[in-house]
Amino acid sequence: MPCVVGRMASPPAFGTDFGTTTMTETNPSTYERRDVIKAGAMATAALAVGNAFAQEKQAEPAQPKPKLPPIKVGLLGCGGRGTGAAFDALQADSGVVIHAIGDILGDRVKSCRTNLETSVEYKDRVKIDDREFIGFEALDRMLATDIEVILLATPPAFRPTQVVKSIDAGKHVFAEKPFGVDVPGALQIQAAGLKAKEKNLSLMSGFCWRSSLPERAVYEQIHKGAIGNIRTIYATYNGSPNASFARKDGQTDMEWQVRNWFHFLWLGGDHIVEQACHSVDKLNWAMNNQTPLRCWAVGGRAQRADGVGNIYDHFGVTYEYKGGVRSFLQARQWENCPTDNTDYVYGEKGTAFINGWGPSHVIKGESANWVYDGPSKNMYVHEHEEMFAGIRSGKVRNDTEWAVQSTLMAIMGRMAAYTGEVITWEKLLTSTEVLGPAVPAMGEVAVTPVPRPGYTKFS
Amino acid sequence: MRPHDLTLRALLTPTILCMAAACTSTQAPEPVQQPAQAFEVAVPGCTQSVRLMPIPAAEGVGAFWMASTEVTWDMYDAFVFAMDRAEGEADPVDAYTRPSKPYILMDRGFGHKNYPVISVSTKGAAEYCKWLSAKTGYRFRLPTEAEWMHAARAGQAGEWGFAGGQEKLTDHAWYFANAMDEEDFRLETRSVGLKAANAYGLHDMHGNACEWTLAADGSFVAKGGSFKEKPEALMISARRANDAALNATDPQIPKSVWWLADGGFVGFRVVCDGH
Repeated sequence: MPCVVGRMASPPAFGTDFGTTTMTETNPSTYERRDVIKAGAMATAALAVGNAFAQEKQAEPAQPKPKLPPIKVGLLGCGGRGTGAAFDALQADSGVVIHAIGDILGDRVKSCRTNLETSVEYKDRVKIDDREFIGFEALDRMLATDIEVILLATPPAFRPTQVVKSIDAGKHVFAEKPFGVDVPGALQIQAAGLKAKEKNLSLMSGFCWRSSLPERAVYEQIHKGAIGNIRTIYATYNGSPNASFARKDGQTDMEWQVRNWFHFLWLGGDHIVEQACHSVDKLNWAMNNQTPLRCWAVGGRAQRADGVGNIYDHFGVTYEYKGGVRSFLQARQWENCPTDNTDYVYGEKGTAFINGWGPSHVIKGESANWVYDGPSKNMYVHEHEEMFAGIRSGKVRNDTEWAVQSTLMAIMGRMAAYTGEVITWEKLLTSTEVLGPAVPAMGEVAVTPVPRPGYTKFS
Repeated sequence: MRPHDLTLRALLTPTILCMAAACTSTQAPEPVQQPAQAFEVAVPGCTQSVRLMPIPAAEGVGAFWMASTEVTWDMYDAFVFAMDRAEGEADPVDAYTRPSKPYILMDRGFGHKNYPVISVSTKGAAEYCKWLSAKTGYRFRLPTEAEWMHAARAGQAGEWGFAGGQEKLTDHAWYFANAMDEEDFRLETRSVGLKAANAYGLHDMHGNACEWTLAADGSFVAKGGSFKEKPEALMISARRANDAALNATDPQIPKSVWWLADGGFVGFRVVCDGH
């Protein structure tokens, strides 16, 4: 079976219904039908290896960027990901100035500020001055400054309120995934996203694979018919547990839980919502944002029965679509076990394999195979490049529709596993369950029981 | 140099470990010029043992033992997840530090049990050696680049540690031409030890995972090339620097000092200086 590496040209590589497809967005013409091999896959696909240390090519080194007019940026959520997002923004746009930072926890603000202000490359564009804000009031105080863009990277529980207030305040928003931990929260962001469109404000999500060039290329191929109509998708997000930190003397419930937010349902939404949501999002991407009809799921705590927190450590979810299409998600956080994060998209005329970490971006068609051989970029930086380019051009990126749906689908899977019920999309949208305290504050926060299928009720 | 001929002699069990000068004295042994026999050391917290092959001295390189395979996930998981430790037991202060829990999926889905550990930083590799030393009483460390090259040659001249040169590479190494999974067209690591060993009894010195070593200037360099590389990267003189590109896409700041988000091809093997 021949294998086409990179951009396809005539004769058609995928059969008659797919012969005109090209990949001009991501594959430079130099790769056009570079290698078509007679023999089997082994020798063939090997030719996809473009350089010594990466199967996919790195994009051309960035040219020195012209100095752009300043854009004042605030960062809310000064942990590792938030600090990383601030650096991504600085790298992405030469006019970005970090103007304010904030977090519930003072030590996070301090360490983040130190990292930014000691950066040889970017310290000249870190101008925080007295605009560092600590505690739950940090959001309001930051929004009262003249920042134009806010980066939201706190635990997901706080995201809906933050997005709503930020859009109301007229700020462009980068919000880490997921878009909330419960249905009312996700719908709040949906409403804020509509308002953002009216105001021409960005609402960019941290579903980073949407900004990955190889992923874009392979999903584009799928949408253009490379594998025909999708029949089934199988996605894995089988990882290992996140770290947890012992409670220290003097820590309130809130502080201890926030420092261990991965492990508490109300803060992170469980790992299916805050981690495996990437796989749910890619599943949703493949299905072109089609709404699932209903959902079955299983889950439990096999390894962390006595561990910190109240989330599950494994899920198996089935999403049913119109026409008998089903997609399956397997997600776990088990240590001392193999890991895998792959998407298998099975169509009537072929199969796509997608793994961003391997990496592997491959389509096996009826008569030919396709292996991505185009450039690759750091998706975390690229998403910021696109956001700031959109802000500067006035053509802002608004991810609301699919980012909210991906979040809701992850919540749907969690609720189906927790309750044991078959959850329809219509039923999901009636959920009024709001996780966590109505008004978060330092102090006591009860840990809710671990859900028990058949007994935990949908609400 | 003539290939060492002792590697296939009787393999001693961990309970009767004996190496040239080491088993009859409680004193630290003098530097060994010609380790006599291979031996095994059980890795705490897992069911695998490190099989240590004697590597004879050569010009500029003393004698030492080198693990017959790259460190596997089985061996490294025991360290990361503290599987050697009884519940409630604390690690000794200042002896070693264990890695953080990996944030992303560090085996990349290639395989786990008996597959070579990958995505490991130099700090992770060095601390593993400290841990294994503290736990077993043997002196484990990373090889120097010179030691690694000497061991990889196994008496051969040139760039390949086996007879027949590059044409025979596929018999000895997993690399881009033979490491493709036919199902998903992905280049992947393989279980350690499947390819033929060199004359010193060392598997996968070329290809599979490339391996951290300590260069003469004190920096770390990765040797041997990997499953995803072309033959020139697998040559004995080839080396890969420890640079920022190996962790460029770790989305956290500060970036992990233990795991390499973009280093899904870098592992290591240990060497041993005896007790």
